[in-house]
Amino acid sequence: MSSQAKTSRPHDRRTRLVAISAMFAALALIFSYIEVLVPIPVPVPGIKLGLANLVIIIAIYRMGFRYSFTINMVRIVAAGLLFSGVFGMIYSLAGGILSIIVMYLLYRTDKFSMIGVSMAGGVCHNLGQLITAVVLLQNTGILSYFPVLLFSGLISGILIGILAYIIEKRLPAFTD
Amino acid sequence: MIKKADVILFILIVVIGLVISFGPLAKQAGGTDVVVTLNGDTYGIYALSEDQTITVESEGHVNVIVIEDGTVRMDSASCKNQVCVDHGAISLKGDSIVCLPNRVVVEIKGEGGEADVISG
Repeated sequence: MSSQAKTSRPHDRRTRLVAISAMFAALALIFSYIEVLVPIPVPVPGIKLGLANLVIIIAIYRMGFRYSFTINMVRIVAAGLLFSGVFGMIYSLAGGILSIIVMYLLYRTDKFSMIGVSMAGGVCHNLGQLITAVVLLQNTGILSYFPVLLFSGLISGILIGILAYIIEKRLPAFTD
Repeated sequence: MIKKADVILFILIVVIGLVISFGPLAKQAGGTDVVVTLNGDTYGIYALSEDQTITVESEGHVNVIVIEDGTVRMDSASCKNQVCVDHGAISLKGDSIVCLPNRVVVEIKGEGGEADVISG
């Protein structure tokens, strides 16, 4: 009896993480939807708070790269099909992949707090999208948006980082 | 909660942003030409001083660009998000309006030798 309980442990852990991942992906998708419904009232295009990133950062800290990357991909593909269309999805994918890789690397250095990680994520998300736009449109004039996107990514990244820090502390342990 | 590396990163990003804003990408008065790009190819170059309406059509997408009193705006676009229309009017050199769904870019450029080249 006791040996059986021991062997089922790793499966328990995986099952819990898979279930939590699905929940996180759904939550991130809802956050994406909220941003479609309630855009931030600024006159510059392409500026978002990046609420979904809140979920992704917590996933990086709690579940590691593979789970958080998968959650992000599921969210982007689902949000792309539901709200923004295939073209929007390409931009989100570029931004999402670049930002999650940078965020994970910064997290691994252990030198940054969640706010620093989120800050870099916000900036890289915008950067990835801008690079995609330059490649797709074959036009470097769009680079004039760079400073605006840089600062907006910085500010939204800091806000999301503070939120993530507050929320992560209050979440119960995912696995025992 | 905030670490030293966070502050360094923050300062670094701000400095990079400021350098770029006031360096190569600085917007200034003195633009003379309106360059319209479609799918990465130059669609046409128009004088900023001349009031006119330009209709860009391709693959069922329509963008109407209006040049008026030295400013350029996207008057209407057949795209879903209307970001380019909401962008408003631009008048400075180096400024641009981008319609991502229709892949149309409107830029203001300064005096250049290409002013007399009209293509498309």
